[in-house]
Amino acid sequence: MIGKFLVYAFFTTALLSSLSYYLTHLGKEKFLKAGRLFFHLTAIGILSTAAFLMYSILTHQYQLAYVWEQSNSELQLPLLMSTFYSGQEGSFMLWTTMTGIIGIFLLNYVSKGDRLEPQVMSIFTLIISFLGLILILKSPFLYIWEKFPGEVEAGFMPEDGRGLNPLLQNFWIVIHPPTLFLGFSSLAAPFCFAIGTLMKNRYNDWIKFSLPWLLFSGMILGLGIMMGGYWAYGILGWGGYWAWDPVENSSFVPWLVVVACIHTMIAQKRTGGYKKMNLILCIAAYLLVLYSTFLTRSGILGDSSVHSFVDPGYEVYLALIVFISLFTLISVAAIIYRLKELKALNAEPNKMLSRESTLFIGSVTLCAAALVVLAGTTWPIFQKGTIDAAFYNKMNLPIAIMIALINGISLLLKWKQNDEKRFFKSLIFPLTLAIIVTLGLVFIGVQDFLIALFALASLFTFFVNAELAVNAFRKNKTSIGAYIAHIGIALVFLGIIGSSKYSEEENISLELNKPQEAFGYTLTYIGATPFEDPNNKRDTKYHFNVKIEKDNKEMLLQPVMYYSEYSKGVMKNPDIANFATKDLYLSPMGLVEPEAFSENEMLELKKGEEKTVGDVSVMFSDFDFGNVEMGGSEMQSGNYVIGAKIKVKDSKFTETLEPKIKYTDGNPEYLASNISGNDTYSFYFVKMSVKGEAEGGATATIAVVNNKLTSQKPKADETLVLTASIKPFINVLWAGTVILVTGFFISILRRRKELLK
Amino acid sequence: MSKKSKTITGTLIILVFLIIGFMSFMDSKIEYVNFAEAKERMRTVEVKGQWLKDKDSGFDGSTNTFTFYMKDDFNNEMKVVLDGAKPNNFDVAEAVVAKGKMKDGYFQAKEVLTKCPSKYEADGKEVQQKKGG
Repeated sequence: MIGKFLVYAFFTTALLSSLSYYLTHLGKEKFLKAGRLFFHLTAIGILSTAAFLMYSILTHQYQLAYVWEQSNSELQLPLLMSTFYSGQEGSFMLWTTMTGIIGIFLLNYVSKGDRLEPQVMSIFTLIISFLGLILILKSPFLYIWEKFPGEVEAGFMPEDGRGLNPLLQNFWIVIHPPTLFLGFSSLAAPFCFAIGTLMKNRYNDWIKFSLPWLLFSGMILGLGIMMGGYWAYGILGWGGYWAWDPVENSSFVPWLVVVACIHTMIAQKRTGGYKKMNLILCIAAYLLVLYSTFLTRSGILGDSSVHSFVDPGYEVYLALIVFISLFTLISVAAIIYRLKELKALNAEPNKMLSRESTLFIGSVTLCAAALVVLAGTTWPIFQKGTIDAAFYNKMNLPIAIMIALINGISLLLKWKQNDEKRFFKSLIFPLTLAIIVTLGLVFIGVQDFLIALFALASLFTFFVNAELAVNAFRKNKTSIGAYIAHIGIALVFLGIIGSSKYSEEENISLELNKPQEAFGYTLTYIGATPFEDPNNKRDTKYHFNVKIEKDNKEMLLQPVMYYSEYSKGVMKNPDIANFATKDLYLSPMGLVEPEAFSENEMLELKKGEEKTVGDVSVMFSDFDFGNVEMGGSEMQSGNYVIGAKIKVKDSKFTETLEPKIKYTDGNPEYLASNISGNDTYSFYFVKMSVKGEAEGGATATIAVVNNKLTSQKPKADETLVLTASIKPFINVLWAGTVILVTGFFISILRRRKELLK
Repeated sequence: MSKKSKTITGTLIILVFLIIGFMSFMDSKIEYVNFAEAKERMRTVEVKGQWLKDKDSGFDGSTNTFTFYMKDDFNNEMKVVLDGAKPNNFDVAEAVVAKGKMKDGYFQAKEVLTKCPSKYEADGKEVQQKKGG
């Protein structure tokens, strides 16, 4: 009850705050205090709701359907806490909480001086009330008997919860979603500044307020996206860090727009131009966040994504649509309302070879990339199907080349002037270095023209920024953050070239204790060892130990496979050997255990079919299930016996036999049948197969074992099947992302300082 | 550069980009079809359906393929050979989506996605089951 009450409470206070602020905007200054008060109440309400949900999770209140569905008593504290947002209801709660926290900082910020407080906060609290509405419709505080009416009696308390999906049981769920949602939520601030400034009809100072927020969003979203990539790569074993999955795409698109907007905002600060573009980009960034939430939460892409959430139900679907439509409508209406004033905002004409022109072209290129990704991600709504990942790679390659080139060029240009001579002179140093290194790369194997060009462009911008960074560092200039971020992105580009274009892959079957060569390493599977996962004691997990040797150095990789009770299937996690210039990536595929019978002993027979081995012939007449029902409860339990009726003929006799398989906990034991007077052969029923009609329908596999031969035959060992791959220079990619984020961080500090001046 | 020539250059660049984009878009479209339609198309498609659990399935380590039988939404049955191991969550999937091409007599899948609402959205029966044990 408390939880639901709190949600209703903050939903109401948010609406009241929005209304009060709006009245203040209309000139009724006395409502300002009410607006603030209601916002404070809203923030307290949100934080209490979040605290209550967290408390319910930590104290295992399984009478709450959400807690029962997502957690159990076995989970250790970090994972237990992450069940706060592992399900759909909770992730909306996380989004709301983050927005509430951002709101506290935002109010503190706008209430100092003339910073559009009434306008910004009226929009911001409206956003919060919509999030509240979604939480009312999709509440994490439903009791199990409310969620499953008629099936569960009121007041029933389950002993334990269902537990967290094992796919999510790792370190990254603890930090990846909060980071991403913080990034998403923070984009509400620049959006509100843009709308607020349109309401106020004042277009000069709002970017000063927005820029630090935008940089913050860029940093946090970038960090979140990168963590998601690492999660996919290191734990989930998707083989790569980026698959152009709709969920990945829908966090990437707003990030691209944010980055574009940061650049044109800087141009506006220096030249006064691009006011309209900045307004539109700030608005677009948040609308795209809402749109991507819709894409990934509405279930509309259910068939085309590995991690789209399930259909949330009709009301939430509708609420999401109203949410997006309303805020799009507000944005469009605000722009149309101010169209005349916006048109009058004309800046002086730009010179082509000036920094602002190239910044503008760069931003447009970034938006083009966003458009490409958006188009591909949206497509499944219009026609059932998906867009091949190749589309994104093909389209974004030329765009990325342009972005790298423009980035380098723009930094060599000056604001507001065409100084061609100086510009061409300054090109010489970075371009020469880039060409030399690219030639080196071509020599060691980068033969594809566009890829070589991509490398050249990335190296060019790397050297331009490196030179500027060194100079800035010496003279203690404040713009060093931007250069560092650019160095980061150049390294990301180079890392992508190495790790994706030049990655190699090989399927390997490793028989126990038999060394095999792959990519210059000697791999030996030395057996499996069970281990206990404190978060998941239900399942026994196994390390599959693979010894890696090269040049007398030795290391152990331990990919994991286990049968998950929760997922009713085998889960697999890769393991990675991280070297300076490459990763060796082992992705387990399966363990092939030795067959009880050898290939040439087995006969696969349709009903009525007869086959001959040596001097006996076998005819399969029918199965004998006894009382066992196909797919029934006995089969499910794994303890049952089934048989096959066969007619066996040797030179003298014909006899009907019924060899059986006895299952104990799902493990088969093959019971031998012999014909009287002939102990050379034993007959076993090995397998029942049901195949497509074209392949003969149901068949029985009968093993005919020659007892004189078997005793001498050595037994085969188990074989670990895995996919090994080499990812060259992937460290450059990870280093690049860390440097990129650091660059953002330094820039934020700088822009904050400017504001405080 | 005059404003007019700037606009023209800009428009041209955008047009070229759009045309290239559209063409490559059409190239990489993957349609959602059933097995009957998949037989007619030579290109990569996606087929949604159910895994036929009572028919043979298994991983073959020597070819690194997972073979299973699948029934699409129009009840067409097909043998599917996936490059790789059995996907995570395959056993609890309510539906599976196979992406690939038809070969002689079977569907060669590059990727199989699993849809598992049943596991993520529980039902009341499960709560009751827990009651006993």
